[in-house]
Amino acid sequence: NVLGLLGNIQLLDFCTSLGQSYPGKPKIIRCRSLEKETFSCWWKPGSDGRLPTNYTLFYSKDSEENFYECPDYRTSGPNSCYFDKNHTNPWTTYNITVMATNEIGSNSSDPQYVDVTSIVQPDAPVNLSLETKTSAGIMYLWAKWSPPPLADVSSNSHVYHYELQLKPEEKEEWETISVGVQTQCKVTMLQAGVKYVVQVRCMLDCGEWSEWSSESHIQIPNGESPPEKPTIIKCRSPEKETFTCWWKPGSDGGHPTNYTFLYSKEGEQQVYECPDYRTAGPNSCYFDKKHTSFWTIYNITVKATNKMGSNVSDPHYVDVTYIVQPDPPVNVTLELKKPINTKPYLVLSWSPPPLADVRSGWLTLEYELRLKPEEGEEWETVFVGQQTQYKMFSLNPGKKYIVQIHCKPDHHGSWSEWSSEKYIQIPTDFRVKDMVVWIIVGVLSSLICLIMSWTMVLKGYRMIAFILPPVPGPKIKGIDTHLLETGKSEELLSALGCHGFPPTSDCEELLIEYLEVEDSEDQQLMPSHDNGHPSKNAKRIPKEKDSDSGRGSCDSPSVLSEKCRESRALPSTLQTQDVRDVQENKEGKRSWETECIASEQKILLFNNESTKETTWPATQLPDNHLFAYHSIVDAHKITLSTTNVNITSFLVGNEEHQSQYPITETLHDDMEKQREMENLHSKTDQTTVQVIKNRPNDKSPFLNPKLMDYVEVHKVRQDKEPAVLLKHKENSRKSDKYTVPGTSKEYTKVSTVVDHNILVLMPDSRIHHTSVIQEPAMEMPQNLQQGQAEKNMSYCLTVPSECKRETSGSEYMDPSSFMPFK
Amino acid sequence: AALTPLPPPAGTDPATPLLCRRGAGAAVAAVAGDAGCRLLTVADLFDRVIRHSGRIHSLATALCEKRLPPRDNELGKSARKCHTSGMLTPNGTEYAQKIPREELTHLTLKLLQAWKEPLSHFNQHIEHHQELPDDSLSKAKQISNMVHELKTGVEKVTEKMQSMGIINNSLTGMASSEATGLSISNEANMMSDSDFIHCFRRDSNKVQSYLKILKCRIMPENSC
Repeated sequence: NVLGLLGNIQLLDFCTSLGQSYPGKPKIIRCRSLEKETFSCWWKPGSDGRLPTNYTLFYSKDSEENFYECPDYRTSGPNSCYFDKNHTNPWTTYNITVMATNEIGSNSSDPQYVDVTSIVQPDAPVNLSLETKTSAGIMYLWAKWSPPPLADVSSNSHVYHYELQLKPEEKEEWETISVGVQTQCKVTMLQAGVKYVVQVRCMLDCGEWSEWSSESHIQIPNGESPPEKPTIIKCRSPEKETFTCWWKPGSDGGHPTNYTFLYSKEGEQQVYECPDYRTAGPNSCYFDKKHTSFWTIYNITVKATNKMGSNVSDPHYVDVTYIVQPDPPVNVTLELKKPINTKPYLVLSWSPPPLADVRSGWLTLEYELRLKPEEGEEWETVFVGQQTQYKMFSLNPGKKYIVQIHCKPDHHGSWSEWSSEKYIQIPTDFRVKDMVVWIIVGVLSSLICLIMSWTMVLKGYRMIAFILPPVPGPKIKGIDTHLLETGKSEELLSALGCHGFPPTSDCEELLIEYLEVEDSEDQQLMPSHDNGHPSKNAKRIPKEKDSDSGRGSCDSPSVLSEKCRESRALPSTLQTQDVRDVQENKEGKRSWETECIASEQKILLFNNESTKETTWPATQLPDNHLFAYHSIVDAHKITLSTTNVNITSFLVGNEEHQSQYPITETLHDDMEKQREMENLHSKTDQTTVQVIKNRPNDKSPFLNPKLMDYVEVHKVRQDKEPAVLLKHKENSRKSDKYTVPGTSKEYTKVSTVVDHNILVLMPDSRIHHTSVIQEPAMEMPQNLQQGQAEKNMSYCLTVPSECKRETSGSEYMDPSSFMPFK
Repeated sequence: AALTPLPPPAGTDPATPLLCRRGAGAAVAAVAGDAGCRLLTVADLFDRVIRHSGRIHSLATALCEKRLPPRDNELGKSARKCHTSGMLTPNGTEYAQKIPREELTHLTLKLLQAWKEPLSHFNQHIEHHQELPDDSLSKAKQISNMVHELKTGVEKVTEKMQSMGIINNSLTGMASSEATGLSISNEANMMSDSDFIHCFRRDSNKVQSYLKILKCRIMPENSC
């Protein structure tokens, strides 16, 4: 330690002996803000102690204790510190100190307190220009300048106040004029013939005035001065026949000034005056054809004269041959050609400027065109030569091009202005387009093919299923499969809780007479006529089997049709019901479906044999099924179109088979629905459903369900008016109305359908039908009730399976067994 | 004579004789030699001489700009007098279109003739002036040759037109006499280089313009 201390002392002594010492105290000279957003401080270094000295600026803010170092020593020059926007807070007082440091020690300046707002002083304005003008015989001085430039250009939006001072050059006193915020000023009351000095300065808000700008001098012309020298700007010949020269006047010296245009031709001494001052506008001279010579040099001067004297411009030499500058070409047209086998190309054509007489051979024009895509930066320039047409190939398709053309005389002269811009949209390549189209077509068609083949496969599968249907076991809980198999309907029904199922009767009995039913009003009538019936069915059928949803029933097509009606009237009801039905289906359906299928197949056989009567139940069955689903579909589609008569019961049956699975699985499958719909239509509209079936296809036999239906038909009639007409066998139609109650005859069998809406029924010998007829007629005329009936009907759906079973067992079924009896 | 009705366009005239250009004219013809001989129409010939004169003018301009800064105002610096300026030539469209075709043809030939001798003289002259850049020298030589060729070409066209009756022969005798040519050449030899080039440039442009005018007057339908 001691040694070290000694060493220090020695060093110090050594240094002192060399004259080296602490640095002197630096002094902060000033701090200044140009625009209140930044500020700078400058200091003056003290003595450096003969050693390299570092200067450090520290500052603290009044709000904080911390000391910071200068953020930027460079921007404002040596010995300065620049505080940029981020370091400048106008609401803060800065405490600034500069410390000088060298090897031996350091020294600090006195602190300087800085409030930014109080040190604002902008730079001086720049670009001061002066001009004398005369208006109404009074001469004035016009001064213009620019605000002080700022380092940070983005903050150049400050509003300065300006002050202008001027004095005659030889005087000492300045005259000061407050200008305001404009950057120009008009000064009058000047002494003519005196040279003035002018300066401006500016101030930002409440800061200090800037320095005065640099001085500008101007000679105020006195009355004695002649005008300034005019300048000849240019000469131009637009068509190599005439030419015009323009000049720019100098200052007029405060007096009205006349300009004289003088010229002499090469080789001639004589001086001529401009032949025409007017044609080409002010300050110009126009030489017409007579005064225009080629291969001759014109020596041109312009003389400005006022009452104080005159001044002559510098001479201008012109050989007209070389000052030809034509007007731009006109009629520029762009045309897109689309040859069949090649890409489209652009044909540009234009006309020479109208003034140019190119036909005489005196002036030959060459053209140049340029084009670029609209958004492009660079022009592509093409020299065309003397043609007035050009073909552009290889343009980018799908782009919009801008095209311009200009021209110049060959071998001499200069280019004209560019013609106005022309735009053309190059269409996207057609072939590409075509390709795309074809690709799309190809993809689509292959897709369609795929779908078709797929459906074919599916269908094939279904066909197989149709021929060799899978035989699922019954899924309804609580149903005794044995019972089902043995085929005793009553037991089964009772097992399912269906009570009061009517005793079976022989179908044959029903088929007695022909009844003709006219069905013109069928849509209206049917529902009502159905009303009673379904309800009855509902009561009865449950006994048999109620788990199955309203998939028709053995009981009748009219019921079916009613369902349709119902669904139209009350879609919502139906829907809910249908949903429920579907669920029910899941459980109950399979068992009977299987049976149905089985029976169906038998039916097919029957059909082949054309044993109508025996087969009817089977046919019926599918129909019923269909109907159940249709009603569902129907719920979605409220309006049904008219019957599709052509669908035979047999076909329907087939359809049924196909559609059955899908339906059970996905109710929402549109395709299926569609198909269903068709079927449905066929059903719905057949007031005489079955009958219609009969007609087209003799295979489908039966009147069976119909048999029962006739009853309902009857009811329909009753609803509005007894509309079931008895048709006598002799075919005298409509001869009299058949009032159900009064009739002793029953028509249980439909013999044929006439004209789509006429049923031909066969009278039934049984009397009990009558009662049936009547009862329903009385019941539930209302739709709502129908809806309920409809619901009930769903229970009837089970019946078909029964039917089938019976059919399969006995080969033919007695529809009357399903008839509601009282 | 100038009002002689125009014959059908030469291009369609089946009587157009086979014209072979030989010697100096071969440079004008696109194809040299007899192998290239084919039926040349007056329009073709005109196109060739016009193109040729254009090339000469371009060369003269290049030479001119090399020696003179291309400032227009330099034009009048010295009161130059071209040795051909004494010739009365049309200096405007109206005059050029009014003057008889024969005369215009003749004037063209006269102009070319007036430059033949001075050009060769000029070539010899600048060969001794080493300060000229090489390409200037070659250009001057080229110009000299081309003017010769052009004159031959124009003579051929004139012959042809005369043979076809497009212009009459009355002016044949007007060919510049040796005397005038000599005096002109002497005058030309007195000019400074820059004046010489300047004057030649101007006259080459004149020649071209006259040829164009002639062509369009004789065959107005041919790209005029």
